[in-house]
Amino acid sequence: MALLERSEWYDYTRMTNWTPKFVSEEEVFPAMHSGMADVPLSVFDSYDEPYKISYREYVDVQRQKDAGAYSVKAALERADMYNRASPGWISAAKLHYGGVPVVEYHASLMESRFVRFAKAPGMRNMGCFGAMDENRHAQIQLAFPHEYIDKDRQFDWATQGYRTQNWGILAARNLSDDMMMTRDVVQTAIMLNFAFETGFTNLQFIGLSADAANAGDYSFAKMIQSVQSDEARHAQLGTPLLKLMMENGHEAEAQRMVDISFWRTWRLFAVLSGIPMDYYVPLEHRENSWKEFMEEWIIEQFERNLRDLGLQRPWYWDYFLEDLSEEHHGQHIGTYSWRPTLWWNPTAGVSKNEREWLEEKYPGWNDTFGKAWDVVIDNMANGRMEQTVPGTLPVICKVSNLPVVGIPFKTAKIEQITYKGENIQFGSIVDKWIFEQDPERYCRTQTIVDRFLAGKVQPADLGGALQYMGLGVVTDPADDSMGYSWVDEYRPAAAE
Amino acid sequence: MSENVATLKPLKTWSHLAKNRRRPSEYEIVSTNLLWNMSENTPPEAGQGLAMDEWHHKYRYGSPLTHSDWDGFRDPDSLVYRTYNIIQDGQETYVENLCDEYSSLEHDAGLAPEWLEALEAFYTPARYPLNICMMNAGYGAAFARSSTIVNTWVYQAADSLRHLSRLAYRTAELKKNHPSRRFGDSEREVWEHSPAWQGFRELFEKSLVAYDVGEHFVAFNLVAKVAFDETLVAEFARCARIAGDDLAALISDSHMRDVERSRRWSRALVEYCVEDDPANKDVINGWLEKWVPLAERSVSELLLILPGADATAANARARKFRNDLGLDR
Ligand SMILES: [Fe+2]
Ligand SMILES: [Fe+2]
Repeated sequence: MALLERSEWYDYTRMTNWTPKFVSEEEVFPAMHSGMADVPLSVFDSYDEPYKISYREYVDVQRQKDAGAYSVKAALERADMYNRASPGWISAAKLHYGGVPVVEYHASLMESRFVRFAKAPGMRNMGCFGAMDENRHAQIQLAFPHEYIDKDRQFDWATQGYRTQNWGILAARNLSDDMMMTRDVVQTAIMLNFAFETGFTNLQFIGLSADAANAGDYSFAKMIQSVQSDEARHAQLGTPLLKLMMENGHEAEAQRMVDISFWRTWRLFAVLSGIPMDYYVPLEHRENSWKEFMEEWIIEQFERNLRDLGLQRPWYWDYFLEDLSEEHHGQHIGTYSWRPTLWWNPTAGVSKNEREWLEEKYPGWNDTFGKAWDVVIDNMANGRMEQTVPGTLPVICKVSNLPVVGIPFKTAKIEQITYKGENIQFGSIVDKWIFEQDPERYCRTQTIVDRFLAGKVQPADLGGALQYMGLGVVTDPADDSMGYSWVDEYRPAAAE
Repeated sequence: MSENVATLKPLKTWSHLAKNRRRPSEYEIVSTNLLWNMSENTPPEAGQGLAMDEWHHKYRYGSPLTHSDWDGFRDPDSLVYRTYNIIQDGQETYVENLCDEYSSLEHDAGLAPEWLEALEAFYTPARYPLNICMMNAGYGAAFARSSTIVNTWVYQAADSLRHLSRLAYRTAELKKNHPSRRFGDSEREVWEHSPAWQGFRELFEKSLVAYDVGEHFVAFNLVAKVAFDETLVAEFARCARIAGDDLAALISDSHMRDVERSRRWSRALVEYCVEDDPANKDVINGWLEKWVPLAERSVSELLLILPGADATAANARARKFRNDLGLDR
């Protein structure tokens, strides 16, 4: 007799539910942590994780993956990627590293809560591999940017960012605290593993990886693909849970979690992935437009996933399809205009050639977003730099914590309600709807503007605000990644 | 804007490590200062005041076990994900080869009936407490006070899954070789009803709901897990050798390496806390007073069914581990 097949012994690893005697079941699996309190523990024994792996296989496969990814890093350090890459690609990489690794780290805490509080034994085990995976994702995505720290201090945001009150960080934290850190494990797995991971991480990790490879940053491309191969496994731990929800009278809850999560994730990724893909990545290296990626990776696959599970498309689907051609363009103008507040030097991405591409991918761009850029460019080309940074506070959405944007000169998407005597503003009808689902969850959020108005930012001027957000502390206020050289083709002299 | 002149100097490492004046290790670069929920002053951005936020206040920030700088804790093994997999892949390759080799020698068929009974009553039911070991480590990771402490718990949780998985493997193998016995079928009944197991069941169930993160660490990593490992790993290995079950002994020896790593970081964490505030020693001793008697009774009761076992020696080893840390019991 030789070694046993995994299938011969695997079930024993997940026949681990028992009936507590010395403490109550409610103490072991409190409703606030474990969820689905009305469903008996034994029902969860039928949870069947679709992607099975044993511990022995895990440490073998993961060791090899790391060996591959880290060896590419070592080889490419010698190739001096940083000094050879375009400023646009460096913008994209810094945005990524400042925003992503620490969120990955907290996903490891989320998975650890599954290990402890999931009522399904299979989910506890998958949570353990998931916690390991996310631990890896944080570590590898800290090891890589650390190589650039002596070249560029902006990479320091990879670890310092989440300890600042930067507005972009607050937006990412708000989403993570809402969907990943403060709900029971069932809701969390639906929002994070099912909607966020199966839905969206492909965008950042496959989409950006293609752009990275084109831009010559093979270490980033390889590393990020390696990360995504773990996501493809642990993202699936929400699916069997959704089946259990559908079979046990929790359909409405499942649908609501999907609807909230999909929207919140979409709006954040419009900044995190949408802006770099359509504006930062050098034109000649762009694989697809952001909208094309969304259509290919999200619209088709996610819709099919939902249908297979008996769920509906989110109620705001038509509104979302319109948002696909709008939100990230608006956020790009917003972030670029407020560039001193960023942890990365942004790339404008609106040279004449690039505008042609934008018009082709988003017909009507020149007549809408392009007009807003015309004003910025005219000021820059004529040396009126002080007029290219806004002098007033933006309106911030209470849910997304992102600036409220819309189509310039056409639509502002601002929505508002009064809750407990306070006027509250939102960046879309969906954000307003999310707030209304659970006002107590969101009403105590202090947006960056709330903090400013409450006197938390001192001195209450641009300098004080920058300081409060970590600029002048972690790094100097950010600026155009190309030193405005792209404006030259628009200068009066160039026109003659 | 363009008139901004860079004022902050370039760095050689993360700014929070720059003060160390030496080249940081891979461990420090990828493991330190990563939590955003460090204290009462960093509430969640959404969900503030809701049940989960209250949980953090009550059980994390409100714990009597304190430290002025949780972020400063360092794992004495400096373990990172990358090295964890290298080490554990090596261990698993070794154990897998053992299983392969002993299976070709028809090892299981040659085990004595009394020993098979012991395996049925003592060894394979351990998958229930092993699952609780993993659950407890998951709790430690989810609510630890610094990323360096989170990591030690995450790797410990994976170690427990390792042990559970190997036990599952051996359960299937024993069942295959001894189909007339109840391997694979009787474990839950044994765990829930065998008198010998009820002490451990009580200890483990109670450790699961010791939600204060300080008490949880003490109750589980300094007491319940130590009792379990001295019984189900160390004492089991010793008795397995006497009974001629070299395979069980060698596998247990390999798990003992994981146990030793858990003890190294647990020891470091105790020392780190007591160094910062000697009052922490009283806090820990108070919890030991509450938990050790139940643990010692559990060990004594369970080892009654393991032929050749010495409960007094097992409990003495557990005490020695804590006494070496300067703790009372
Ligand atoms: Fe991840
Ligand atoms: Fe993930």
